[in-house]
Amino acid sequence: MKRRKFITTSSLATAGAFTMPYILPSGLLGATTKPPLSEYVVFVLFAGGVRQQESVLQRYLAEGQNENVEGNIMYNMLTGAPPNDKIAYGLDDTVNNIIGGIPIDPILQTPLDQIGTLFPEVRFSKGGAGHFNGLSTGVSGNYYTTQGLRMRPQSPTIFEYLRRHAGFKATDTWYVGVSIGGSRPLLNYSAHEAYGRRYGGNFIAPTVTFGEPGMANFQNFKNYHPDTEWDKILEMREFLNQNFQQQGLEIAHLYNETEEEILIKDFVRNTFEKVNTGSVILPPVNDNGDLKTIGYAVEVLNWFKPKLTVVDMTNIDVCHGDYTSYLKNLHRADHGIGFLWREIQRIPEMAGKTTLIVMPEHGRDLEHNPIKDDNDWYSYDHSGNNENTRRIFTMMAGPGIDGNLRVGGVNNPIGDASDIVPTIADLFGIKDIVANQGLLDPSARSLFDRI
Amino acid sequence: MFVALCICCMIFFSSCQDEYYVYGIEDVEITPVNSEKDKPKTHTQYISILYANMFQKAIGPNQMLQALNAIESIGDKQVAYDMLVSKYMNDPEVKIPSVESMRADPETFVRETYTRFLVRQPTEAELQWMINYIDSRPSLTPELVFFSFATSNEHAHY
Repeated sequence: MKRRKFITTSSLATAGAFTMPYILPSGLLGATTKPPLSEYVVFVLFAGGVRQQESVLQRYLAEGQNENVEGNIMYNMLTGAPPNDKIAYGLDDTVNNIIGGIPIDPILQTPLDQIGTLFPEVRFSKGGAGHFNGLSTGVSGNYYTTQGLRMRPQSPTIFEYLRRHAGFKATDTWYVGVSIGGSRPLLNYSAHEAYGRRYGGNFIAPTVTFGEPGMANFQNFKNYHPDTEWDKILEMREFLNQNFQQQGLEIAHLYNETEEEILIKDFVRNTFEKVNTGSVILPPVNDNGDLKTIGYAVEVLNWFKPKLTVVDMTNIDVCHGDYTSYLKNLHRADHGIGFLWREIQRIPEMAGKTTLIVMPEHGRDLEHNPIKDDNDWYSYDHSGNNENTRRIFTMMAGPGIDGNLRVGGVNNPIGDASDIVPTIADLFGIKDIVANQGLLDPSARSLFDRI
Repeated sequence: MFVALCICCMIFFSSCQDEYYVYGIEDVEITPVNSEKDKPKTHTQYISILYANMFQKAIGPNQMLQALNAIESIGDKQVAYDMLVSKYMNDPEVKIPSVESMRADPETFVRETYTRFLVRQPTEAELQWMINYIDSRPSLTPELVFFSFATSNEHAHY
C-alpha cells in the first residue's frame, strides 16, 4: 500500500472510530448532550384555568369578590397563612351547616415553594386560551393558533422527543388523563410526519378505564397462558398480519414490546382487583375526579416507574358558573399535589430522584361574568383577549433544584408556557437535540436557563 | 374466357390471405386478495362488527357507548382491543364452534372463519397454512383462532 493511501485510509478509520459512538438510533451526530439531571419527571398540568389572584397572589376573595378576606388556600404548594373568614373551600361542616367550612389538613409539612423553585408570573403568551390549546402547549412546547379539537398537536410532544432521541420505551412515558373528554386521548403523540405514533407515549384515563365503561368491557378479561395459549394467538396473528401488509395499515398501537403489553394488561387486571377491594391509593380527600385521577396516577407510578408521567386535572373549570366550587376544587388540586409529592417519596426507586413540575394550562379573566353562585359570588371565564388569562405560574421541585427560590414577579414576568418541553428535555439531557429540531415555539426556553 | 378465368383466379388468390392473429398480453396489475381494504374501521365500526361476529347479534346503544369510552381510555389500541376481545371470550353467550367440529373438518372451519372475520375466502396458501397449524397443535382451540382473527390488522380495516 502506498504511503499516501495508507495515511488517508487510517485517518478516515480513526475519524470513524470517534464518530460512530455518537450516532444514536435517531441518526443524529453528537446526540448526547449532558448527563440527565433527574431520573424521573412528573409533570402536572394543573388544569382547568387558575387565576393568579386565588393562587400565587393568595388574595382569596379580596380581588375576585370584592370581599376584604385574603389568604392562601393552596398551602401544600405555597407558603402563606390561610383565610380566617368566609371559609367555603374545604369539607362541608355538616354540624354547623356550612358548605366547605372545614379546610382540608395539609399533607406536606413544608410547602413545595420552599422545597423547590417558583416562577410566580409565567405567560401563556400566544394562541387561544382554551383547555386543549393549553394542554397541547404544555406537552409540545408550541402554540397553535388554528388548533382544533379532535386534532393531534401539529408538533411533536415531549413523549416523542424522549422516545426518539433518548431511547425511552413506550412504558417509560405516560399521559394520565382526567377524562377522555376535550380530546385528551390525542395528546400522547402528534401528527408530525417525522415523529407520530411510532414514538407516542402510553395514555390512560383511569376514571374511565376503572369506572363504569371499563368495568363493563375490561374487568375480568380473560387471562391467557403465555406459553400454551398466548403464544399461539401471537403466531396466528403474525401470520394474518404478514398477509395484510397494505401500506403499513395496522391497528393503532404504540410500539409497546410484547412484554410491555403484558405489563399493561397485568396493571389493568391488578388495579381492578384494588378497585374491588377499595385499596387503590387515593388522597385522603378524594371527592372529585381530579383527586381520583391523582390516586390512579400514583398506581401508574408504582407499577411502571415511568421516566416521564404527565397528569392533568380539570375540575377547577367549574369557575365558569360556580366560584365557590372553583375555590373548593383549587383547594383540592393543591391537596392532590401534596399527596402526589408525598407518595413519590414513598416509592423507593423514585424517592429523591424525581422532579415534579406543576403548571396551569392557562389562567382566567380579570373581570367576572354575570353568573352568581349560592354565595352570591361571581364566576370567571377564560378569554384569549384578556391579559389576566395569560398569567400563570410554574413550580419545580426535585434533585438539583434550588429550594425557596422565586424567579420573577408581577412586574417582572419570567417564563412561558412553552418552556416545559425544553425543561423536561434539559432534565433528561437532550435539550440541544430537541431545540435543534426547530419545532419549538421561538420563545421556549428551559426554565433552568431562565434562572 | 380463359383471360376472365385467370383474372378471377388472380382476384381470388390475392384476396385469400392468411388471417393474422396477433396475440398480446394485456397488462393487469396483480394485487393481494385483501388489497382493497385500505380504510381503518372507526372504533364504533370495529366494536359493532366484532360484537356481531362474537355474539351473532347487534350490540345495544348503551353497551356500544360504554365499549367506545373504554377503548378510548387506553392509548395503545392493540392492547385495548385485546382486552375487549378477552372480555367477550369470557362471556358465556359468545358463539364459538366446538373443538370437535374444528378438528373434524378444519378446512370448513378455516373458510368459515375467514368469511366471518375477514369477509373473504382464504387463498390456497392461507388455507393450507391454517390447516397445518390446526393439525399440528392438539391444544389449539377455536377460541384462540377467533381471538387472533378478531385482533388482526385486516379485521380492523375494510
